[in-house]
Amino acid sequence: MDMAVLFDLGVVALRVLLPIYAVFIVYQCYAAMRRRRRPEKPLVTLCNPVTGLKLPVLFWENTIGRSKSSDIVVDDPAVSRSHCVLLRRKDGWFINDVGSKCGTFVNGREVHGRTRVLIDDNISIGNSEFEFRRGEEYEERLRSSWFFSKVSNKPAVKSYKLMLLVTVFHFFLCVEAMFWNDGSDTYAPLMLFGALAAVEWGFFCISYFVLRRATFELEALALFLTGTGVMLLVRQVERSAYVQLAAAVIGMIIFCVIIKVIEDPDKVNKLRIPLMIAAVGLLLTSIVFGKIVYGASNWIYIGPFSVQPSELVKVIYIFIGASALDKLQTNKNLLEFIIFSVICVGLLAVMGDFGTALIFFVTFLLIAFMRSGDFKTIILAVAAAVFGVTFVLRFKPYVADRFKAWGRAWEYANAEGYQQTHVLTYIASGGLIGVGIGNGFLKQVGASESDLVFGIVAEEMGIIVAITLALAVALLVVYARAITTRSRSTFYSITACCAAGLLAVQLSLNIFGATDVLPLTGVTFPFISSGGSSIMACWGLIAFIKAADERTYSMKR
Amino acid sequence: MKRMLRRSTMTLMITLAFIGGMCYFVFKLVTGASDWVDQPYNAHIGGSGGLAQAGAIYDCNGVVLAQTVDGERVYNESESVRRATLHAVGDNSLNISTAAQSMYRSQLSGYNLLLGLNMPESLRTTNDITLTIDSTVCKAAYDVLASYDKKGACVIYNYKTGEVVCSVSTKGYDPQNPPEITEENESEYDGVYLDNVRSSSYAPGSIFKIVTAAAAIENIPDIYERSWTCYGSHEIGGSDITCVEAHGTVDFKYAMACSCNYVFAELATELGPEIMKQTADKMGINSSFEADGVKLAKGHYNADGATENQLAWSGVGQYDDRVNPLQMAIICGAIANSGESVNPTFIKDKSLLASVGIKFGTGGQTLLNSDTAAALDEIMRYTVSSYYGDNLFGGLTVCAKTGTAEVGEDKAPNGWMVGYAKDEKCPLAFACVVEESGFGFTYAGPVVEAAMIQAAKNLGAI
Repeated sequence: MDMAVLFDLGVVALRVLLPIYAVFIVYQCYAAMRRRRRPEKPLVTLCNPVTGLKLPVLFWENTIGRSKSSDIVVDDPAVSRSHCVLLRRKDGWFINDVGSKCGTFVNGREVHGRTRVLIDDNISIGNSEFEFRRGEEYEERLRSSWFFSKVSNKPAVKSYKLMLLVTVFHFFLCVEAMFWNDGSDTYAPLMLFGALAAVEWGFFCISYFVLRRATFELEALALFLTGTGVMLLVRQVERSAYVQLAAAVIGMIIFCVIIKVIEDPDKVNKLRIPLMIAAVGLLLTSIVFGKIVYGASNWIYIGPFSVQPSELVKVIYIFIGASALDKLQTNKNLLEFIIFSVICVGLLAVMGDFGTALIFFVTFLLIAFMRSGDFKTIILAVAAAVFGVTFVLRFKPYVADRFKAWGRAWEYANAEGYQQTHVLTYIASGGLIGVGIGNGFLKQVGASESDLVFGIVAEEMGIIVAITLALAVALLVVYARAITTRSRSTFYSITACCAAGLLAVQLSLNIFGATDVLPLTGVTFPFISSGGSSIMACWGLIAFIKAADERTYSMKR
Repeated sequence: MKRMLRRSTMTLMITLAFIGGMCYFVFKLVTGASDWVDQPYNAHIGGSGGLAQAGAIYDCNGVVLAQTVDGERVYNESESVRRATLHAVGDNSLNISTAAQSMYRSQLSGYNLLLGLNMPESLRTTNDITLTIDSTVCKAAYDVLASYDKKGACVIYNYKTGEVVCSVSTKGYDPQNPPEITEENESEYDGVYLDNVRSSSYAPGSIFKIVTAAAAIENIPDIYERSWTCYGSHEIGGSDITCVEAHGTVDFKYAMACSCNYVFAELATELGPEIMKQTADKMGINSSFEADGVKLAKGHYNADGATENQLAWSGVGQYDDRVNPLQMAIICGAIANSGESVNPTFIKDKSLLASVGIKFGTGGQTLLNSDTAAALDEIMRYTVSSYYGDNLFGGLTVCAKTGTAEVGEDKAPNGWMVGYAKDEKCPLAFACVVEESGFGFTYAGPVVEAAMIQAAKNLGAI
């Protein structure tokens, strides 16, 4: 065997290693998210001194009532279906009557508004009396969610080790990009890698030493995705890579700011109206000053910078959707939110940005359902949407033309299906392990770095890495759902689930649009696609997931 | 919070839907990848570099038609073999889309879904492809066809196995030195990238009488008792139907042998557009046959709404009738096979390509009743024995029909010859067309003669 063969074997080995490595990193991130949890045991216990019944109080916010869906079910005819809410805040436990017939009493005094409860206080609800006791009073074992069950007691992979894994992965990408030098500056990838590593570790240090956060898995996962997106750009448009990195830094700042702002779930309500005005204002600006790019007027140019306001509105939208809960868990009045949603989706449709409009609509369904639990609202909203779409198509049939290649990309290979067929061809050319960073040809197709980025990843790094990156985003939903009951407030549960849902919908539209499974709508692949506004929005959205994890605020290093 | 957990199941649906969609896409990828890769725009395999590491292409006798030597694609050393096999083999570009080097380029260059393209040279395994064509037969056909300097096509295929022995399309060029087609010489190379055997359709002229005859045999009980008197020109539906000469009194068999337009025009008007179309449909004129998954050009017959005169002309292969050369060879093969067609193939060794997921259409369909096939066989045999003479094919027992299709006022007609050899050792069906030439017997005849004799020799039949 001569040297050339050995060298080639080395190159192939590196390429085979990369997908395995990517799977390993994503696995480690999620594995770390499962570990280092507080054990599943009640926070406090409600003891009935008459019957000796002990009710565990598991969550930060608990509904008490006769209804089976209450968190604490009190089987007493004098108790209303939804009687009161027992909630934990930074400064202790509170109880709040939510319009029960017979009222709620603490130590014999009727509760009006939020009332503090202390250990050994007496709470009477209907004909039942409870003593407010510590969590240790409850001895039975509790079942925990599958996501957190059967986790070994070994400590999770240390955050800095996770970061090391991520950085080495990006270094591999850098080496590949240098190896496949197409004549341009050989060391450009190395420079970019240096900047990327500085940003990654800078963010880690701030989180670790300044903010003293105990966990870093979610951030590590986001950094892994962001960095991969940045490294992909180096052999395409090198300048964009730096813009992307700078935008990611702003995104990280937004991430930290959002977590700080929503620290107190009782105060988020005040921000609602100003943010609503800001959202509508941003969308209107892009209609008035927007430039039409690929059929949608969602870009505004401020000097050398181009911004896509609709991306930033996504973050505000999630915030507003969940913050309108006036009395915790009791407000089913969706009217204000419905009106706001109709305005947002309407403005996006006017802009011609149907992909984002669809994302907002699905997010609306999620939020509306999470808040009301009412299928009727969902069915009504879907019916209204179908009607609206039919109406638009009836009067503006040219809108449908933009999507006519859907499912028939090969028939329109030189026209509307041009992008999709190229994506499919180059995905197939990449095979399982890809042709190498910078070695692909899909990058020559327009909008490939944003709308078609799944194709670029699959071509250059192989379909395994592409699917792994996609799953890394899609599984955020599983994580967000698993921490629902461990959140400090319903506000966090709703924002986390809906933010993760939004990212998953956006991911689906991007991947399946590019591969002709769904119509191509031109939305971005979260964290990977090139686009400053997009990456900022993604970081903003995962802030909600981070905030929903009780450890973010309550656990310091 | 319990409620929230339950309601958040909705969000989980999105991830499930996503995973479902991903599975669907992966399924599409696994089944479609080799088709997706073989696109003319695919820069990984396009251009001269695309074959730099490709496997060789052999003919059925193991003669190298194309191979890569030191990174260069080298074609057969004989220029006329190169030109004769151009449309079957292809050139470095992907311009001839039906050629083996275009259709199976990714397989030739060692593509598979696991490794993709662009593996380092030393680690790539390339695949060779063996075609069914016989370069000597192709050369024999090409030498005659090219001597006319006209566009045309000649195809010979084994109607028992489906293997295409000879497939030549003109005009073409030398794949070793492909021409640079510019605005000035574009008319000279008009249609060179089209394989006329598979992708072109032509006015059939008298060879279409096979279809009309089939319709008559099946629908007119006393067809063999009838006789007609041909004066060279007859008025049908207000205009004249003309023959080359006055054939005098003829019966059905002789009318076919001497190709009397008047008789078949009369038969078409008597049968009517529906029965004619029914028969044409059944014989596969209006549908496309498949060769290795490639749909052949469709023929066309539909006299619905035609005037009586047009209907009359449609019965002798004029009006707007169209047929494809390989399609006619398949139909002739079916006549020899008691009505059963066999789908043609250009690939000899399928195991390799099948292993990388390329499907081949096997089997065929029933184009004719066995009785009708036997009757057509008899009159086509009679046509040769009584009219052309058996010495034309060096002693082969051939059944055939020629055609001369008028294509326009100021253009010479298309010359056709279609048919098959009945010999046990030489089960070959053929079709040949020479565009804007003259009598089918004069132009297409010699091409078929040269090719069939060469093919029969190679098979040891003569």
